[in-house]
Amino acid sequence: MTRPDKPQPLLVVDGVTVRFGGLVAIDNVSFEVREGELLGLIGPNGAGKTTMLRAITGVARPAQGQVLLDGESLNGQPIHQRIRRGLSLSQQLVKPLRGITLEENVALAAAKAKTVRPLRALLHVSSADELAQARRELERVGIAALAGQSPATQPLGVLKRLEMARALALGPRLLLLDEPLAGLNSKEAHALADTIADINRQGVTVVLIEHNLGEVLRICQRLVVLDNGRKIGEGEPRAVMADPVVRTAYLGGDTVEAKHA
Amino acid sequence: MNYEISLLTTMAISVMFALSLNLITGFCGQISLGHAAFQGVGAYAAALLAKAGWPFLATLPVSMLLAGALGVIVGLASLRVRADFLAITTMGVVFLFVGVVRQQDVLGGELGISGIPDHGLGKAGFMVVALLACAAVAALSVYIKRTWMGRVFNGIAEDEDTMRVLSIDVPRYKLAAFALGTALAGLSGAFYAYHLQFIGADNFGFVESITVLSMVVFGGIGSVPGVVIAAALLSVLPAWFQVIGDYKLLVYGGLLFLMMRFSPGGMAALARRFFNPVTPQGGRT
Amino acid sequence: MLFVELIAQGLVQGSIYALIALGLTLVYGLLRILHVAHAALFTLGAYVGVLACNASGSLTVAFVCAALVAGLAGVTMYRLAYQPLLAQPPFVALIASIGLFIAAEEAFRIVFGAQGLSFSDPPLQGQVTLGSALQFKQAEIMVMVGTAVIIGVLAWLQTRTRVGVACQATVSDPQMAESFGISLRQVRDINFFVGSALAGFAGVWVALLNNLVEPTMGSVPSYKALAIIVLGGLGSIPGTLAASLVLGVVEAFGTIYLGQLLDRNAIAFAFLIAVLMIRPQGLFARR
Repeated sequence: MTRPDKPQPLLVVDGVTVRFGGLVAIDNVSFEVREGELLGLIGPNGAGKTTMLRAITGVARPAQGQVLLDGESLNGQPIHQRIRRGLSLSQQLVKPLRGITLEENVALAAAKAKTVRPLRALLHVSSADELAQARRELERVGIAALAGQSPATQPLGVLKRLEMARALALGPRLLLLDEPLAGLNSKEAHALADTIADINRQGVTVVLIEHNLGEVLRICQRLVVLDNGRKIGEGEPRAVMADPVVRTAYLGGDTVEAKHA
Repeated sequence: MNYEISLLTTMAISVMFALSLNLITGFCGQISLGHAAFQGVGAYAAALLAKAGWPFLATLPVSMLLAGALGVIVGLASLRVRADFLAITTMGVVFLFVGVVRQQDVLGGELGISGIPDHGLGKAGFMVVALLACAAVAALSVYIKRTWMGRVFNGIAEDEDTMRVLSIDVPRYKLAAFALGTALAGLSGAFYAYHLQFIGADNFGFVESITVLSMVVFGGIGSVPGVVIAAALLSVLPAWFQVIGDYKLLVYGGLLFLMMRFSPGGMAALARRFFNPVTPQGGRT
Repeated sequence: MLFVELIAQGLVQGSIYALIALGLTLVYGLLRILHVAHAALFTLGAYVGVLACNASGSLTVAFVCAALVAGLAGVTMYRLAYQPLLAQPPFVALIASIGLFIAAEEAFRIVFGAQGLSFSDPPLQGQVTLGSALQFKQAEIMVMVGTAVIIGVLAWLQTRTRVGVACQATVSDPQMAESFGISLRQVRDINFFVGSALAGFAGVWVALLNNLVEPTMGSVPSYKALAIIVLGGLGSIPGTLAASLVLGVVEAFGTIYLGQLLDRNAIAFAFLIAVLMIRPQGLFARR
């Protein structure tokens, strides 16, 4: 049902199913992400949230269904192409490049324009602009002081923020954040959540996976809830959290057969 | 004096060859067990052109082009296979090369091509050109490391999945590395053909491929000075250590093993530990 | 009848490849290392076998000695070379293996001479005729039978005994296997021993078939074995066996029909590359 006055959603997840071997990680999940919103993707452990992000970026391939960006299907498009079209991912399992410093890590992302083709990359030596941008992004996430250090000796909280800075440096339209607040104390988490909200206000659409429900409820405008690979809730945060199905999934011991919201 | 000149020329050619592999393996992390095939393509191209009357310098670009073209084909094929299979696929390439060349009479068959015409530069002149070419390849390697291409290569070598998420077209970069590396191997092949004035398919086989790979690893994958020194030393090892003579391969194999066992980062890692006795980061050069 | 002869030839050759490739695939499945030095164990087995047979007059003694010595040498290689390098990127173990291989071949040459050794009284050289016109040397029949028996035993061991199942589990998922209490070290030792013993065993067979042992005899079969483990699906015993036999037969036919274009070794690799282009995961991949 198309409503001509409603703008097209930025991202559409349409009936996506992802399987690993015999296991169904994501089961016929559909939802939309509207331009400019800050969407929270929540659910108990093992619900498939990370897998969902991977299906969007192309790291995992859906067995069924498709993901659409600006109305165009992303099926079959390689990861780097999706990133160039405006997606950006900050992963749960942080993997910085260990041979270079934090700011050099971020600069690599900032150099997106120069690295689009090997030949162009060969002709560009200077990294001054990219390092400057890198420092700005590191500043934004609060770890500018560590810019010149190696990732090998940093705690998880710093590495998570490095991940985010790298994702930001790509200048995305849609930022996918996988548990960016993990490993941070409550003050740092609050500050970083504020930063995420700021980034969203500046025009970047954000999909946020987070277990820190306090911050999620504070900054997200809308929630999508997954449990055991299925969508069990969607909507305004308070309403979703009041939904008995959602509450059971989070607080109940055993898996409840969830009805689609 | 002639002996030393010849030795230096051999060294220059080996260093060129090793640096070309360093581009692929060291910068981009792709293990190639068949690099000698590309040197062979360059050598055969130069030999045939020389016998057809072409001047020395004119054969160089053709050798590079043909070797690079084969490199792109192999690169494209290698992108299809899993990473673990890449090494064995490249091994297959060099066996294929030797196998095909040996059966073609037009390429000299099993006897190879002999009587390759003189380059006309004189022994010393040729050595100088070889050394210049070698220096150019080294300079190019150093330059690449300082560009964004080099930084991307480094990233790919360490963690190509992360690079994809950072918007890098990984397959394209790997192809670029292959094309460059194999073209330069072809260049070394052309010099090889003119230097020895005789080539056979067996000069460019599996053993030669793992020999050059060991030079790169011994020097320190990715390290330009390390590879230069390692290749220079190892290529003339048999000549220098006449006293070892009969045992030279034993020494060679033993050295390789010991180096990997005690300093996997090669000579470059040793040098760093020596001049900088702080705890080094593990892993990449 | 040429057709049948070629198939027979191919199966004999394939049986030898299978014995060598099995050891390689066991190691690769476990450690993801290209164990190039495996070739040296093949040659070692051949030398030990010939010496033992010449000294004792018994082929059985030769086989047992060859397998034992090769097996132990293999485990030693693992302990000395690979185990310390497990934490390093894979090319390190590969180059170390290459170094070992080169040194070993040279050591054979220095100790035993370049001319090679032969049986003083080669056994199993009599002719056997199968069917209407197939002629085999006794040794050739025995190779095929022997390989079949060994594979059968191994497959039985892998699925029916605790040790075998443990080995399989370790190949599929080392961490999970460890959490079940399986000793990774033990499994690796066993795999190296068995795989290396098989290679030594194969060495004796080839010595029998050619009545010659020389230092470089291990190289070419081992390179092909590397191609075979890729074709057969890394770590898969049935896959490796099938790929070995297929390759043996392909080579036999290829040498006759493609001999103008490619030499024998190239045929094996041409086959490998062709297969990988069509099926990048190998002929019999499980994953």
